[in-house]
Amino acid sequence: MRFLFQEEQPPVTHPTVDLGCGYWCTINYDSVISSALAMVVTIVAAVLIARSMSSQRPNRVQALAEWAFSYVRSTSNESAPDASSFVVPLAATIGFYILVANYLDFLPITLIPNLHPANTDVNQTLSMAAVVFILLHWYNIRLRGFRGYLAYYTRPHELPVWARAIFVFLNIIEEIVKPVTLSLRLFGNLLAGLLMIYVIGILLPAVIQAPVIAIWKLFDVLFIGLIQAFIFMLLTLVYFGLAREGFEEEHSH
Amino acid sequence: MDHLAAAMIAFGLALGGGAIGAAIGDGLAGNATINGVARQPEARGQLQGIMFIIIGLVEGMYFINLAFGALFVFALGRQ
Repeated sequence: MRFLFQEEQPPVTHPTVDLGCGYWCTINYDSVISSALAMVVTIVAAVLIARSMSSQRPNRVQALAEWAFSYVRSTSNESAPDASSFVVPLAATIGFYILVANYLDFLPITLIPNLHPANTDVNQTLSMAAVVFILLHWYNIRLRGFRGYLAYYTRPHELPVWARAIFVFLNIIEEIVKPVTLSLRLFGNLLAGLLMIYVIGILLPAVIQAPVIAIWKLFDVLFIGLIQAFIFMLLTLVYFGLAREGFEEEHSH
Repeated sequence: MDHLAAAMIAFGLALGGGAIGAAIGDGLAGNATINGVARQPEARGQLQGIMFIIIGLVEGMYFINLAFGALFVFALGRQ
């Protein structure tokens, strides 16, 4: 008895299709298909939850959804109150989408060709982090004005000028590192889960593969998938709070 | 030494070093949680939630290592 993933490619290689303009528009079409599946499931689940809401008799799913959403809202109101109008929907959608995309791994979707957990492609996580990055800097420019935004890179403001000039490099590195760690953290965790399944498929005898993979998926998908979705969402909120840091002191006097 | 062998050695070094850091970080987080629970047993639920977030963040660094290692072996080492 042999399992299908023994004939599979390693999960880091993706089949690509070239749209005819070289490196920058070569598309990993399996990632497009898997993220489209995750998106459809996310939208359908969200619409179903929204449809079944009632103020008279809230059911369990509604209570859970309202609890999660009010958690996001209260965290956002604590850290960046004037950004809540767009940060709350963004963070809640990203969190829910990542959770659905991770939990789709419970189904044996890797057995179907061209399907894999959507977040195991670095392009997918990097694009989500890029959305957060762009919105973060747009919010920062709107908050401080363009001159204030440039001055923001010379933190801390109480030091002499020559020291602030050195800190410019550190601040720029800090801003670049944010989306990189945000995307690679999610990607690495999910890729590790998938690589582990691949390694189990290669190394272990076929008889005990299935239970070992079941145990591993139970830990990896249920636990790591939930925590990573939560961390991505929380860090999105925290970054907007960090962008606001020091704004009150500068403008209070 | 060919590319793939060098990449695999780099992968091993990155995984080993990253595992040391992640293990120390996890230990520190667990240590702080145990101290907190010992002082305030009623804060256990809250502290556990925070501990899992911190562990997720700490191990994130390790998994970034792993992602780069996979990049070395599967993408650069094949060339």
